[in-house]
Amino acid sequence: MSDPTAATPGPGGDTKPAPRPHYKRKLSNYLLDKKLQLRYVLLVTILSGVIAGALGYLIYQQKRLASESIEKDLASLTQADSSQEDFQEHVASGLESEDRALVYKMAGVGVGLVIILSLYLLIMTHKVAGPLYKVSMYFDRMAVGRLGAVTPLREGDMLQDFYLNFKDMHDAVRTRAQADASALEKALETLRDSKNQADYRGEARAKLDEALDDLDKHLAERKKSLA
Amino acid sequence: MTQPSKAPSAPKPGDRGYKRSWKNLLINKRYQLQFTLFMVGLSTLLMAGLGIWVMKVANETTTVSMASVRGTPCPKIPALDEGSGSEEEGPAVPMKLPEEGDAGTAPSDTPPAAPVADSPAADPAPAAGSGSAAAKEDERPRAMVVMDESSMTMLPNVIKVPEDFGQKVVGHWTCELRLGAEINALERGRLLILYVLIGTGLLLVIGLAVYGIKMTHKVAGPLFKVSLYLGKMQQGRFDKVWNLRKGDQLVDFYEHFKLAHAGVVKMEKEDIAKLKAVIAAAEQAGAGEHATIVELRDIVARKEKAIE
Repeated sequence: MSDPTAATPGPGGDTKPAPRPHYKRKLSNYLLDKKLQLRYVLLVTILSGVIAGALGYLIYQQKRLASESIEKDLASLTQADSSQEDFQEHVASGLESEDRALVYKMAGVGVGLVIILSLYLLIMTHKVAGPLYKVSMYFDRMAVGRLGAVTPLREGDMLQDFYLNFKDMHDAVRTRAQADASALEKALETLRDSKNQADYRGEARAKLDEALDDLDKHLAERKKSLA
Repeated sequence: MTQPSKAPSAPKPGDRGYKRSWKNLLINKRYQLQFTLFMVGLSTLLMAGLGIWVMKVANETTTVSMASVRGTPCPKIPALDEGSGSEEEGPAVPMKLPEEGDAGTAPSDTPPAAPVADSPAADPAPAAGSGSAAAKEDERPRAMVVMDESSMTMLPNVIKVPEDFGQKVVGHWTCELRLGAEINALERGRLLILYVLIGTGLLLVIGLAVYGIKMTHKVAGPLFKVSLYLGKMQQGRFDKVWNLRKGDQLVDFYEHFKLAHAGVVKMEKEDIAKLKAVIAAAEQAGAGEHATIVELRDIVARKEKAIE
């Protein structure tokens, strides 16, 4: 899956994030958090299946009872007349085929319901799993010290409030890190200037040089990670 | 939401042992209610739609079965013939008085005339074509016999009852009652289906609402916890991250968060280490009181406090 957190650099390689790329939902990407999504999808689907199955069976049972009652009455009415046997059989087979057709209809509707419901729930849960997935990607970046810009969620996504909290935190940490980097950069410059002007002790001066060089490298890396 | 209280039992490392509380079940109303209401709404819709269908078919079945029961023939009670006991007795007929010319003669064997009241001859309007003779006969006075006293024994009408009459009556009414009971049982069965459907529907809705909120709480809980940490991080506090409660969802997501938190803490620690090295080198070089070094010390102090 493509990285939803990736921010494309602007033209000329500047660090200002370009307008966020328009990521489209793909069918293959709908199952982002299998455990979370399948749990809910299966629960609702099985529940609907059980309700539809139980009530469908009740409908069939009642219908069959009515048919059997009619068949029985018809049989008792026509038993004295052998010429009516065909008629009785015709009516009985008609009722039976009607009942069977009802079962097929109900099974079809049930299967359709389960499929439509599963797809709908998959989309619905994706709107929760999507933002979580995106935040997870940002978390992975933060874990390695990368604090790039955070792009907003797609329209229709859920957990907007949570995402805003995350974005505020991310922005605050990033701003603070940028401020620290600027402060350290300034401090580094001042210390280098004062080192040239002041008469620092020989060995200590070499150590200070080394420490300042380390800090310089560290700041360069930090700036890179904040880009 | 209130802060969860500490559990008395010894928690695992990284566990705070917070217990779930009913008061805190609805943390993220929008998310939790959306999912729960979807489940409840769908089940209600299914139960109502299919329930109406079930009741429609059940009503039809009950009507058909009732018609079948009503059509079941019961043995009939034999009709009692009231006249059967007086058949031997001839109908009472009025006596025919001898005519003037026949005086003193014995009554003939010819059948007597019909009673006055019953006879068409008694009709004041004589039938057309009956002739003047008949009219004349009508005009003749008739004798009326009044019996003041009689030694004759008056026998009541005797009704002949068949020997199995009692059994047939019992059989008939037993059958009628049985059919009535069958009809009642069919009606009760129909009502039972209705009540079972309503009861099951209500139980399902209540159960699903409670279960839905509890289930979504296991997702909303970790999100709430992460939100609290995010708030702290936003304020520059990176204190220890505790584990999720047992049974919580989003365990993988939470692991990602913990890694991110650890990554930020590592950044702060690296900054501290680098700054401390610069401060130490500056102090060794005799620039410990330089304004910039003082400023760096403040930064280090702030960063150390943040990761406490």
